[in-house]
Amino acid sequence: MREIKCLSATGQLGHGIIADAFHRGVARMPDVIGADMGSTDIGPYYLGAGQTESSRDMIDRDLELVLVAGRKLGVPVIIGSAGSSGARPHLEKTLEAVSRVAKERSLSFSMITIDADIDKEYVKRRLREGRVEPCGPLPGLTLEKVDRATRIVGQMGTEPFLAALEEKPDVIIAGRSCDASVFAAKPVADGFDHGLAMHAAKIIECASFAADPGGRDAMLATIRDDHFELESMNPNRRCTPVSVAAHSLYEQPNPFEVVEPGGKLELSQCSYDAIDERRVKVTGSKWVRAPKYTIKLEGVESIGFRCFSLGAIRCPIATTQMDDVLAGVEEITRTIVGDKYAHSDYRLKYRVYGRNGVMQDWEVNQGHQPNEVFVITDVVGKTQQIANGVCSVARYYLLHYFYKDILATAGNVAVPFVPCDIEAGEAFEFSIYHLIEEPDPLVLFPLRRHHVDNGAIRCLD
Amino acid sequence: MPRLREITKVLRSKNAGPFTITFDLLFRTKEDLERVVEANILGAERVAGYLKCPQSDIEVYVYPPANAIKITVPRRHSSGSFDDSDVFGCQQHAWMLDIEVPQR
Repeated sequence: MREIKCLSATGQLGHGIIADAFHRGVARMPDVIGADMGSTDIGPYYLGAGQTESSRDMIDRDLELVLVAGRKLGVPVIIGSAGSSGARPHLEKTLEAVSRVAKERSLSFSMITIDADIDKEYVKRRLREGRVEPCGPLPGLTLEKVDRATRIVGQMGTEPFLAALEEKPDVIIAGRSCDASVFAAKPVADGFDHGLAMHAAKIIECASFAADPGGRDAMLATIRDDHFELESMNPNRRCTPVSVAAHSLYEQPNPFEVVEPGGKLELSQCSYDAIDERRVKVTGSKWVRAPKYTIKLEGVESIGFRCFSLGAIRCPIATTQMDDVLAGVEEITRTIVGDKYAHSDYRLKYRVYGRNGVMQDWEVNQGHQPNEVFVITDVVGKTQQIANGVCSVARYYLLHYFYKDILATAGNVAVPFVPCDIEAGEAFEFSIYHLIEEPDPLVLFPLRRHHVDNGAIRCLD
Repeated sequence: MPRLREITKVLRSKNAGPFTITFDLLFRTKEDLERVVEANILGAERVAGYLKCPQSDIEVYVYPPANAIKITVPRRHSSGSFDDSDVFGCQQHAWMLDIEVPQR
């Protein structure tokens, strides 16, 4: 029976590939090495700011592992959602890392990059045609929201990867991609069943997360004509029928079907059977084509600039009347900064940890009296200067507020370190998470061909 | 009566996209899953009470291949927005831990 072996290097490239398991995977002679680099899970900031969530040095480290292994085996390396959010600045930062690694290791290879930035005028045109729907519990898209968006990307499906693979590049680096597309593309290109390929891809994109115990070590999927097989490349992690089945719950609203661009993965007829202690065989995954091809858009808009300050309160005389203390401090702060700023110029919030800072109104243990509380003075202002101004007053008066029955008159807050106020730059919110109808799955994701020769990347288009 | 924390091997929350949060409970045995389903302690109505949201917002799935129940609800604040407190949505599960499971 034919088979294809797909190696997933890690859960998120740039956060540290576990080298032992990865090398064990490479020794199994996979036909393709894949790695996902991003997600919306990391929140709106990185897409808006054009920054990577992982650090430059760790991206270099992980890229070096996969690029060197790919060249050694002569198999394609496919990387999706480049640079965390997969827009042009993220792709460029990833290419800079490729260049550094290629230079360092004297690598030469062909490379295709795939952009995922979506033009605002295009979105507005589709919106006017009534071909944009929310993807989940959020309001419909408006022209104003599109205009306000800092940046919009689309999650590409398998098709742009298939188009790239036709040209047999050594490396593909794609912007924002559906996680599964990154790993499903090669088996689909080689004619394996779409449902099995997508399901295997959906599982290995998280590396060994679907094992017991779960982890980030490399995972190998071997896809054959009527089933696929999973094995963690860490011998201490076992794939069991339950651990693998459970993975279809992860980060998905519905465990029976997974909606992807152009269709959905039907999992209700799947069987998960143990091959041995550490390996599982999966059958019955079905790919059901959607009547209309849709692409998920992700966009963020700026909400201003953030400044915050950290501190902790131990005195029980203060912590037992926390709400009154904060209300008093906030009133003084608003009065003082009112001489410079309008109320609508900033948002101020004290995040109090130790009681309900994490779960807010979902907290079940509401009356809890903590030993100490941790307070983040969090300010988002129209400008960085406004945020800094409000934050400095709000945390100073938290330190020196004379609350009722005070004994510790020298200060209310244990400050762990200085500087007190930390500028966090521009802040963002998700504003677009919508499905757009697009009959041509390729048109939004242009391919660019490159030749990498040591450190030099030459674009051939 | 045992509590949910005593009969599950996974009990977690996580984002399912930036506007939705999902809770997964993987029970140790098939019998435990059946017991929880039968007692309806995680039905939409009960969950709506804990999470203070309309019942119609709540999706509950029973998933036998993993001895699991999944509950999906809209986030109150989108991931990473000013009013959010949990960008990954991975620490919102504590309300379930001590729910008691009636014996059959």
